Amino acid sequence: MAMIRAGLQKIATAFTGGQGGILSRFVSNLIPRENTAVNTQKDVIATCNKLVEERASRNFAIVHLLGKQWRVTDGDLVVVEGYWPPNIGDKIKFDKVLLAATKDFSLIGRPLVQPGLVTVIATVISKGLSHTRVHFKKKRRKQFMRINFQRAEQTILRINSVEIANKINEAPKNVF
Amino acid sequence: MSNKNLFLKSGFLRAPLQNGVGRYVCQLQRIVLKFCKSNGSSRGIRDYIEQDLVEFAEQNPGVVVYLKPRRHRAPIVVGEYLNGDRVWMSMHNKTHSEITKWIEVLRTQQGDVAATRLRKYQSTDHPSIQGPWTPFTFKLPELNTATLPNVKYGENNRLAPSATEQLRRLFEKQKLDEKDLKTAE
Repeated sequence: MAMIRAGLQKIATAFTGGQGGILSRFVSNLIPRENTAVNTQKDVIATCNKLVEERASRNFAIVHLLGKQWRVTDGDLVVVEGYWPPNIGDKIKFDKVLLAATKDFSLIGRPLVQPGLVTVIATVISKGLSHTRVHFKKKRRKQFMRINFQRAEQTILRINSVEIANKINEAPKNVF
Repeated sequence: MSNKNLFLKSGFLRAPLQNGVGRYVCQLQRIVLKFCKSNGSSRGIRDYIEQDLVEFAEQNPGVVVYLKPRRHRAPIVVGEYLNGDRVWMSMHNKTHSEITKWIEVLRTQQGDVAATRLRKYQSTDHPSIQGPWTPFTFKLPELNTATLPNVKYGENNRLAPSATEQLRRLFEKQKLDEKDLKTAE
């Protein structure tokens, strides 16, 4: 036990010893200075609303689409595999938004962010078939061999916009 | 069979000319149907031309449609795309409904998408918006102003007390109890 303690202390001194040690440089560079004023909940929400209004940074969202979750931001391309009715040129609004965020804050849904708060719009730009996938099965010494060829439908989506409405903490309207 | 051994190009997801940003442009520009007027293998494509082709051309004013009859040759369809891709497809002995479906695929795809194996199913220019994680992410900012070494942060509370330590504590507690014990003296 004593040896472990001594070892830990040695490591700690290596980090903190000398001119502030190894850690202090990172700490002072990466983390904002301690905030002495205590923000109340209202202040935080007001700040977030202000950031949204100013469009201070790029937004992103995590959307649920055909059983998969995608992290999307403006200008992204996404491939949906399998049968999916939307056709080329269609504009789509994603309703299942699990999380929406900017650089400085995140809105986390439980499980979904309330409807009307976040708008994610995408355009279908291509509906084609994937390359031919070969499913080859062979069992050694058993006279068993199968080969199957398969092509899946692939829909390419362009994410046009991820927008957060400027009304965080407003009562949700039941759209669904 | 692994992808490494296949003679197949691999690539990343792209869209020609930022398609879909701002507006969407149909990528099929020209479609050529080559067929025979008498051969049985062109039966399906002749049906398609008679019944559906005019409607197809009307609905897609951006697509140039060519018909090329040629004697005693198998029917084919060639689509040409904005990004320069050319997709050749045999329509030999295909029925009317099959041809309808294949031409719909040619119309809706954005080039020769089947010629490449996609390595990623998503592409983004902004892989991280909130920044990558570091060991100091989500840590208290108190650490910035604290003077180290500090008992509060240097405390070793990660290891459970050892058996010796536990026995020692028990012994100390027992001693305390004995002191309080009243005797009959």
